[in-house]
Amino acid sequence: MRKIPIIAKILGSLLCVTILSGCWDQKETEELAYVTVVGLDKDEENENMVKVTYVIANPEVGSLAEGGGGGGEPPLETISFSASDFITSRSLANTVISKEITYDVLRNIMVSEDFARDKDFIRWMYDITKEMEIRRDINLFVTKEDPSAFVQNNQPKMDTGPHKYYELIFNRGQDTGTIPPSEVGQFFRITEADADLFLGIYGTTEKSDNYKRDRDPDQFMAGELNYEGQTNTTQFAGSAVFKEGKMIDTLTIEETRLSYLLSTTMKQPEALLVALPDPFHEEYEVATKIYREKDIQINVNLKRDKPSIHATVPIKMSILTNHGMTNLAKYRDNREKLKKAFEETLNKEFEEFIKKTQEEYGSEPFGWSLAARKKFRTIPEFEEFDWMKTYPEMDVSIDTQIDLENFGRQTDLPKMKEVRD
Amino acid sequence: MGEPKDKIGLKEYTAIALFLIGIKATDDVPAMLFDSLKNAGWMGPIISGLIAILPLFLLLDIAKKYQSKNSIDIFYHLLGKYVGFFVLFLLWVAGFLYIVLDTATYSDIVATMYFPRTPAFVLYAILVGVSAYGAKRGLEHIGSVSWAVFPYLQATLLFAIILTIRHGNSGFLFPIFGPGEWEVIKESTMSVSIYIDFLYLFLLFPYVKSVKDFKKGTWIAFFIALFNLAISMVSFVMIFDYNTAMSLNYPYHEAIRSITIGFLTNLETFFFPFWLIATDIKFAIYFYINIFLFGKLFKIEHFEYIIPAFATLILFLGLIPESPTFSVFHMRHFFGQILSPVFFFLPILLWVLANVKGEMRK
Repeated sequence: MRKIPIIAKILGSLLCVTILSGCWDQKETEELAYVTVVGLDKDEENENMVKVTYVIANPEVGSLAEGGGGGGEPPLETISFSASDFITSRSLANTVISKEITYDVLRNIMVSEDFARDKDFIRWMYDITKEMEIRRDINLFVTKEDPSAFVQNNQPKMDTGPHKYYELIFNRGQDTGTIPPSEVGQFFRITEADADLFLGIYGTTEKSDNYKRDRDPDQFMAGELNYEGQTNTTQFAGSAVFKEGKMIDTLTIEETRLSYLLSTTMKQPEALLVALPDPFHEEYEVATKIYREKDIQINVNLKRDKPSIHATVPIKMSILTNHGMTNLAKYRDNREKLKKAFEETLNKEFEEFIKKTQEEYGSEPFGWSLAARKKFRTIPEFEEFDWMKTYPEMDVSIDTQIDLENFGRQTDLPKMKEVRD
Repeated sequence: MGEPKDKIGLKEYTAIALFLIGIKATDDVPAMLFDSLKNAGWMGPIISGLIAILPLFLLLDIAKKYQSKNSIDIFYHLLGKYVGFFVLFLLWVAGFLYIVLDTATYSDIVATMYFPRTPAFVLYAILVGVSAYGAKRGLEHIGSVSWAVFPYLQATLLFAIILTIRHGNSGFLFPIFGPGEWEVIKESTMSVSIYIDFLYLFLLFPYVKSVKDFKKGTWIAFFIALFNLAISMVSFVMIFDYNTAMSLNYPYHEAIRSITIGFLTNLETFFFPFWLIATDIKFAIYFYINIFLFGKLFKIEHFEYIIPAFATLILFLGLIPESPTFSVFHMRHFFGQILSPVFFFLPILLWVLANVKGEMRK
């Protein structure tokens, strides 16, 4: 083979250097402002504008680069202003922020409840699919107040780095079932399929006057937990319900958990801690840990005049407290009675919630339209059937099947009568 | 280098064939199929594959019959001097346009999904430049590089698909027949040109060690490519559902952006380099076959010298279409529908002629 002159080799490798550095898309990490949360709100004066809020993380906080001196820089910077969308806002922000705005590590989109309930909300949401840097698996959450107020009030005492804070609190909330999994990609999918409802995370920094509406400690949502202490004012609890790309209502923690248990699509939480009425003593409640191990079984029957759904929910349950001090270890009958009573309680709660979705929302957030899709051969047939129209009319029956697992570390409790003797 | 001096073996040939077809799962071919087949898009490669078995079988039979002959001479022999030239010339034109449109698509993928700020011209030039260099090295080199990197690329593709399926929901595959059984069969038939690359690979059969290897390699590559296409399209439906899948331009690249492993989020940076290597190899092969055919047609012995001229021409032609995401997509779709009958009927015609002539000689 012909020898390649050494000069050509050098030139060739120099050329490689320019190409391999990423051409014109080369970026210096030091020169970027990393937006971790984008907030969107209606502009009061101009309906073609949105109020964009940025939470910019300081990458040096919490890393080794900070050095031993402690570093004086704050963990984040926030800025809110009006722009025509959150893509052009990137350059506008640079009138204040010194570094180039990047969405590379963007993990959360926050929208105000007011904006989410707007019919034009979806137009701005679809900007996400255009922007090359934004991923589809980022979280969507709805705030009761204006995002600019939210980011100012949100002052976590620990985990001050915004990327860490949101990741931790959302993961924890999803593990305990207090907030739904809320990916933007799923929002698009459900909106486009035009059959089910989408659940978004609901949060606020404002305390509501409406503390714990009734006896049930789980019937509340963000802002309604009354607490004291020196900590953050932000609460994430419950869900925002979206129908056809528009927010229509909010769900409490309990309803969010029921949605989890009935859902075919949501990733199940680790375990739900729920207090249920004690069948042996009306005045007490039994704390239980429940989780769904297997998939929910859904039978859709379209053959009959009135289409029906029958769902079987397999639940594993552990008993955590027993204030009634009923002897469950010794008597099998007691355990059976407990199981039956809990199954009935859950059935009733499921059915009440389903009725609410049928009457108020006209669709459901459980992904059940997927089960109905299996009954059709072709998409035109399914579209003809029109899930959103049929669902409110359907007969829905739920069969909860509880599998009692364990009764705590010490199963036997002293007899109340003997103690007080 | 001119004509290949050494012949390539079974492994190299299979890898080459797989690069040509298997990688189609990652460009806009799935988008094309989803467009008309909705969530039954994954049946497209399977049904058109079943249809493609016949022309493939006939091509392989012809190759077996004329083992000693050159593939180009077979065309002249069967179709006569003028018709043969004409058919080969049309094949060359089709192949050339195919490269232009395909390179435009691939550089558009890089431009829209990964490097939005770099001028399209630069990305395109690098793609064409690297591929032209690969083609210039000759078939043996392309073959050994293909085989050397193929296992890694296949492994990463499968890895991406498994992750995608894990994130997905099998409920999205229903209603199983999408727009309707007839629609599925009709549209799949129209897109049988996915496998047209085998017609071009047929031209290379004299440079594979033996016809037996050629046959074996073709079938292995065919079934693996079919599997790759079908399974990746299943995974796209499972992660996006059909409505979203239909509106995506490049589903593979959206999918690798949506998947995560635990705390590792931006996985596309891992999959992208592998995909780039596959792309460069694919176009090196395309270039080589096309220029080889051109050289044979016009009796140019050292056809590698026209590679730079070709590369430049392709580059400028490919840059012409405005907003390539749409225009090239439609051209490719249209072009694919024209090529489908060609791919189906040309081998039948050749085979019938071969048999008629064979009988006459007896």
